[in-house]
Amino acid sequence: MTDVQTPAIACRNLWQVFGPGADKALTDALSRSGNDAGIAATDLRENGFIPAVQDANFEVREGELIVIMGLSGSGKSTLIRCISQLLPGTGGEIRVDDENVMGASKKVLTDLRRKKLGMVFQHFGLFPHMTVAENVAYPRRVQGVGKRERLARAQEVISLVGLEGREDSFPRQLSGGQRQRVGIARSLVVNPDIWFLDEPFSALDPLIRRQLQDEFLRYQATLEKSIVFITHDIQEALKLADRIAIMRDGKIAQIGTSTDIVLRPVDDYVREFSKDVAKGQHAKVASVMRDEAECGPDDPGLTTGMTLDAALAHCMELYEPVPVRDANGKVVGTVHPSDLAAALQVDEA
Amino acid sequence: MTAVTDLPAQQARLTAGAQAALITVIVGAVCLALEGVVPWLVKWPAAWELPATQWVGAFLDWFLNGIKPAMRLFSDLMTYPMDWANYVLGNTPWPILIGIVTALGWYLGGWPMAALGFLGLSFVLASGYWAESMNTLALVAVSVPVALTMGGAIGILANEVPRVKAFVQAVLDIMQTVPTFAYLTPLLLLFGFGPVVGLIASAIYAAPPMARNVMLGLERVEPEIKEAAIMSGGTRFQQLFQVEIPAATTQIMVGVNQCLMAALSMVIIAAVIGGFNDIGWEVLLTMRKAQFGESLTAGLVIVVFAVVIDRMSGTLATERKRYDRRVVWAILGIAVLFTAAFWAWLPNPSELTVLDPMAEAIDSGLTAFTQANGPWLDALKNNSLFYVLLPLRIGLDQAVLPFTWGFQWTPAMSYGLFAIGAAIALLMAWRGHLTGGLVVLILIGMLETGIANLPWPFVLTGAAALGWVAGGWRLAALSVGLLCTILVSGLWERALLSLYLSGAAVFSCAVVGGLIGLASAVWSPVWKVVRPICDMLQTIPLFVFLIPVLMVFQIGEFSAFLAICAYAVVPMIRYTRHGLVNTPDEMMEAAISSGATEWQIMRDVRAPYAAPTILLGLNQTILYAFAMLVIAALIGTTGLGQSIYLALGQADVGLGISAGAAMAILALIADRMVQGFAAERRKALGL
Repeated sequence: MTDVQTPAIACRNLWQVFGPGADKALTDALSRSGNDAGIAATDLRENGFIPAVQDANFEVREGELIVIMGLSGSGKSTLIRCISQLLPGTGGEIRVDDENVMGASKKVLTDLRRKKLGMVFQHFGLFPHMTVAENVAYPRRVQGVGKRERLARAQEVISLVGLEGREDSFPRQLSGGQRQRVGIARSLVVNPDIWFLDEPFSALDPLIRRQLQDEFLRYQATLEKSIVFITHDIQEALKLADRIAIMRDGKIAQIGTSTDIVLRPVDDYVREFSKDVAKGQHAKVASVMRDEAECGPDDPGLTTGMTLDAALAHCMELYEPVPVRDANGKVVGTVHPSDLAAALQVDEA
Repeated sequence: MTAVTDLPAQQARLTAGAQAALITVIVGAVCLALEGVVPWLVKWPAAWELPATQWVGAFLDWFLNGIKPAMRLFSDLMTYPMDWANYVLGNTPWPILIGIVTALGWYLGGWPMAALGFLGLSFVLASGYWAESMNTLALVAVSVPVALTMGGAIGILANEVPRVKAFVQAVLDIMQTVPTFAYLTPLLLLFGFGPVVGLIASAIYAAPPMARNVMLGLERVEPEIKEAAIMSGGTRFQQLFQVEIPAATTQIMVGVNQCLMAALSMVIIAAVIGGFNDIGWEVLLTMRKAQFGESLTAGLVIVVFAVVIDRMSGTLATERKRYDRRVVWAILGIAVLFTAAFWAWLPNPSELTVLDPMAEAIDSGLTAFTQANGPWLDALKNNSLFYVLLPLRIGLDQAVLPFTWGFQWTPAMSYGLFAIGAAIALLMAWRGHLTGGLVVLILIGMLETGIANLPWPFVLTGAAALGWVAGGWRLAALSVGLLCTILVSGLWERALLSLYLSGAAVFSCAVVGGLIGLASAVWSPVWKVVRPICDMLQTIPLFVFLIPVLMVFQIGEFSAFLAICAYAVVPMIRYTRHGLVNTPDEMMEAAISSGATEWQIMRDVRAPYAAPTILLGLNQTILYAFAMLVIAALIGTTGLGQSIYLALGQADVGLGISAGAAMAILALIADRMVQGFAAERRKALGL
């Protein structure tokens, strides 16, 4: 792994507690429990506080798309608001480009938002009194960029999201999908390094949702931003994520790749999420590969990036281990066809 | 009292309401029983009263004298814009002003608004009250910007500094309940007689609605819009002025509309102190001279102003089309050309007498009407007084006289009445409605004694009981504490008189308004007729309500009662209809598919669902009734309203403020209790 690279975002022991005097309550609860997060959280709850985010630890690497998933009320929206400092955060650290932003001054935060951060909201958060172009150009307007210049840049991102011709419309005249395109355009207008998306497609029809997901993947392929993406939809998470963090009652229950979540859930809660997922479509061959060099005579041409479904289709008739190649065609391991089948049946057992 | 004796066995199962009612019954019974033996139990002895009004007066005198120089300076400063506005409005040729208003109407709302502006001002011109109207308008024109600035600043401040917010909210609540006349007395002391008092009073009175709506608007901006402004990297100043305030425009414009109406209303009320030749003064003068035709004409001028200002500023709060500006210039051009062309022939608007025949016709018609219907009107008035209002006020035991009812009330009748009450209560308790039975008993006791003669321990207990049921111990303690201040200040009897008149009016409004609201909800043609009437009644400044009742029923309590009802009935109608009409469709569908009849749906689904809304309507009705009570003092009521009015005449700050505070206390307690009941109903329905 490339650990030498500084992560775009790093959260260390992050807490967000609601209630009057939460700061002190958290410090006290932590010292009473000897820094045990679970005990401290119970303690806080008993005293009438709401520990919405408890001891969150994770990193977002440069260019990585991390999806935070959970049911409503699990704290995922609070977590993203904590990282973007829309909420002050009660304890711990948030490092953006290796700089702690917890408790940073207003000026530092404003500067950071003007240059590095972009955010998309579930219900779009469009300014009702501004046209599409004015909405998109607003983040540059607050920086004092001249009208002509900021509208020119706005035009670029409006074209990117495919809203040419609607520049002078007001948000109320747009459909839901179009509104979210405006939201996306606005969040991209300052060309941020870090992109927060808070359930951006949840309020949309399934068809529009899929269309926007595909477009989103297309932007990301060229833009390569570091992204924190919130959703409650496992299909969406699996489709988009590099890694997924699953939240439950304010805690991160599991964090890992799609395959980890689908094939190796740490507990029943996580298993429940992935229950309805067709595992063969998401888990990759690499997850069941062995390092053994011995294999049978057949070579059905499996690669590490192949989904289990595809791999299984290739070796329906085979009973002996087959070789697996990486993207360059080099053999990197073997797979037992029986393992493929077994992996798909984890839950039925 | 047999109803009480067999109850202790069930005590453990008594509901909160039943317990409260039971305690009230017991206290009432004890007071009645001991009436002869311990007189202080019924009437608070004068010796126990504190000279609170004098203390308040002395303190305020001292305080007001302290800030007088600063205020006088402010008042001197305000005379400049006022003189200027007066000069401009007074000297602009009337065709140009009519042109400006018409053009403004077009710009705001197209042809209908332009026509409204044109016809409205033409009526004002024809009435011959042009000069007086312009004086009124000049006051409004100066006070409104002051009120908008103050209100806006207070609203923004409260939004920005959370610690201030609760305080501002409380002050605004209190300002809403303090009667309008009570503002005037201290201002009179500060600024002396003259138009500046009207100006400042109206600015103070009109600022709270603006502040309220600014706060509400900013609060209601979607959180995501606020967050988007933050994430765009805006400073707090940029967030507020570029995003939040523009996003709250609609609500803020509602505030502007209410601010304008409040300013107009107060300017007209302020005419009571005189000193400037405006339209309100004209109404008052003609009313005192019993020239009702002219009074009505002047009143109509006020109504026209109110309607024009209200409808035009109302368009600001709705999403509107853009109207062609070229038409604006065209209308203004025509007005200027007209003025230039007919300059020499333009009549002096004050000498116009087009409507004088109308006024005379009204006068003679009125005389003819009252003569023709005299016996009938007198009978209505006297019957209402003798059989309803008077017994409510002083009780059956004093109101039933040979002169009024044809026989004398005897103690035996009292016992009989109580026996009937006890029987009803027992019957209801036996059928499972213990609380209802006890309440019937209480009401019968109140009717026998009269509201003005209620023993003070009974009133305090009753208030505590109601407060406890509506909002728990805190509300009960608050009610009793506040009522005690009235009790010791010597304003108690007047407070009870006010309570009686507003209570009677609120009760009538609840019944009549509730029925009209019900009719409007079930049958839409009724609403088509009722709605414009309601709109009209809500636009008319309080003052104007007095004219028609005075015309028909002369000065007296009955006229005051009618004026209060006419003003206070509107919210009851509106809220009742609104609550009943807005039953969610799926609830209606569920009831219909269960096979419920129209009437069953109304009783079992729509009415319970509407209950919280109807209670809020009742709450508004109570506040409206208190507001009108003070104005109605002009045509003859007793009680606190009269005291406030008298204090104004004598520039007695202590009495004015104390009586105003007492009034505010009554309104506040009523408000909190009804809100409490409404909140409880809402909670029970899971809303």
